[in-house]
Amino acid sequence: MTNAQTASKTYLWIWAWLAGLMLLSVVASELPLAPRLITVIILGFSTVKALLVALYYMHLKQDRKTLSFVAVFPLLVVLAAVLLVASSRLVKL
Amino acid sequence: MNQSVPMCAASFEETGEPASKLGMWLFLASEVMFFAGLIAAFVVLRFTHPAWPGPEGHLNKWLGTANTFILLCSSWTVVMALADFQAGRQRSGRLYLLWTIVLGSAFLVIKGFEYSAKLPHGILPSTNIFWSCYYTLTGFHGLHVLGGIIANLWLFFRAMQGRMGPSNAYKVELAGLYWHFVDIVWLFLFPMLYLL
Repeated sequence: MTNAQTASKTYLWIWAWLAGLMLLSVVASELPLAPRLITVIILGFSTVKALLVALYYMHLKQDRKTLSFVAVFPLLVVLAAVLLVASSRLVKL
Repeated sequence: MNQSVPMCAASFEETGEPASKLGMWLFLASEVMFFAGLIAAFVVLRFTHPAWPGPEGHLNKWLGTANTFILLCSSWTVVMALADFQAGRQRSGRLYLLWTIVLGSAFLVIKGFEYSAKLPHGILPSTNIFWSCYYTLTGFHGLHVLGGIIANLWLFFRAMQGRMGPSNAYKVELAGLYWHFVDIVWLFLFPMLYLL
């Protein structure tokens, strides 16, 4: 099997995983569980799906770490901003 | 001296990445900040408004699911288009690119259908905070989808003229990176608006 064939097969597998996780998210939203738990489960699935797209379809898995840094850095800034706001006594949510 | 340097294909020695690709990633980083700001605002408003989305009704979960499936399929078709152009398979690459455009357009048609089911009934951005968030988030996302469709259309017409091949497949890669980003944003908007 050539590299191109292997890559095509991987892309198809990732698509199947993405579609499966999407369906699981919809099913999870109907489960009689605590809303907070459902939120964690569904957003967890979304995070896994986003990682699969970024690693395999956007090729971050095989690209240099520089691009991963560029991709992750704004997320860290946002996380820091959210934590700052959430922990601030000046902000009432 | 007037030297022609193919800047898009050039690599920075420091990064080892083509300048065009690094540029696209930096652009996407700025887009992350843009959508993160909107989503953060949504989360804060969600926690401070217990009656959500309000008495005006809910969104159709199945239309949202269909749209998510469509975008996932389009992410697959665009990465297949890239693989085919890189391998010199023009015809197959063009077909996958066309499918990406069709699927992206289908996403917008369904979104338009959703809007048309709300707007005539007086459910407007000014109705309440939920609908303000809904129209803002999906409106900006829809504009990004439209931008991706236009980029892919441009590439498709170039491919139809026989001007796409392994040497400039990087253009499909750049458009693909943008398209996947738009897909990732929807992967979070869908559960936040339709499922939770």
